[in-house]
Amino acid sequence: MRRTLLAAAPIGVAVAVFGVSFGVLALQVHIAGWAAVLMSVLVFAGSAQFAAIAILGAGGGVVAAVLAGALLNLRYLAVGAAVAPVLPGGPLRRMLLGQLVVDESYALGVAAGEAGRPDARTVLTTGAFLYGCWILGTLVGVMLGPVFGDPKRFGLDAAFPALFVALLWPMLTTRRAIRAAVVGGATGLVLAPFTPPGVPLAVAAALGLLVSQ
Amino acid sequence: MTWPLIGGLALATFALRGTGPVLPRIPQALTQRTTGLAPALLAALVMTQLVTGGWHLDVKAAAVAVATALAALRAPLLASVIAGAAVAAGLRLLLRVS
Repeated sequence: MRRTLLAAAPIGVAVAVFGVSFGVLALQVHIAGWAAVLMSVLVFAGSAQFAAIAILGAGGGVVAAVLAGALLNLRYLAVGAAVAPVLPGGPLRRMLLGQLVVDESYALGVAAGEAGRPDARTVLTTGAFLYGCWILGTLVGVMLGPVFGDPKRFGLDAAFPALFVALLWPMLTTRRAIRAAVVGGATGLVLAPFTPPGVPLAVAAALGLLVSQ
Repeated sequence: MTWPLIGGLALATFALRGTGPVLPRIPQALTQRTTGLAPALLAALVMTQLVTGGWHLDVKAAAVAVATALAALRAPLLASVIAGAAVAAGLRLLLRVS
């Protein structure tokens, strides 16, 4: 337990700082501080939360924001299936424990386990620890947020595209992924100036599915 | 606006995270067909952020370039984000543009 938490500590710091930036940026797109914290408590998915508030900030609707976040979280179907063999208990308990499976806790669990069998205790302990870090970070972020004032002065508006491109880059390991990214980027570039933010994302998602068949 | 946003995203995420541990076989069939979704969406999000006001270059393009370079050098995610914001803020200060 102690060794697991020590291994997870640097990731915990990163997740907390990431949470701080989420809290700060959520305030910039006019989401109330308590709502940003509640979102981190109930959703616990960084990229999806950032995508959702970025769409709202660009003038998009709630449906588009939720849809984009949900589609980005589709990867958790595969991740959840990969930890299924090692999770204990009946269906309800496994479903609840599955909520602690996030990218980072899964990665540490794989590193601590054997081939094809991630270490369940590492996944769950780390997941719970990172959950706390994420919420605490968001809380600090919404308290720090008002200090920043005009978001443009500190380049906070540029933090969104910088984050999304940094999330995208490590995914570009297959031709299929590169093709999907090129198609998605082109869609955004062409459509974004004259359609509401949900439209380029929906079209990009559809085309992304089409080219990855 | 706040409640549908939080509720919708929370429910969707809960369902997506909860399905794999209970039904490991169905997600496999599904995920093999959806590998292109995340890259397409993230690339579209980057572009949407850059050109929502119209097709003109602003300091955010430089921020994205720097963030991409750092990601290519395997810098941590947060380094890309902070460097991107710093580049945008610095260029605005230097060039006095918006």
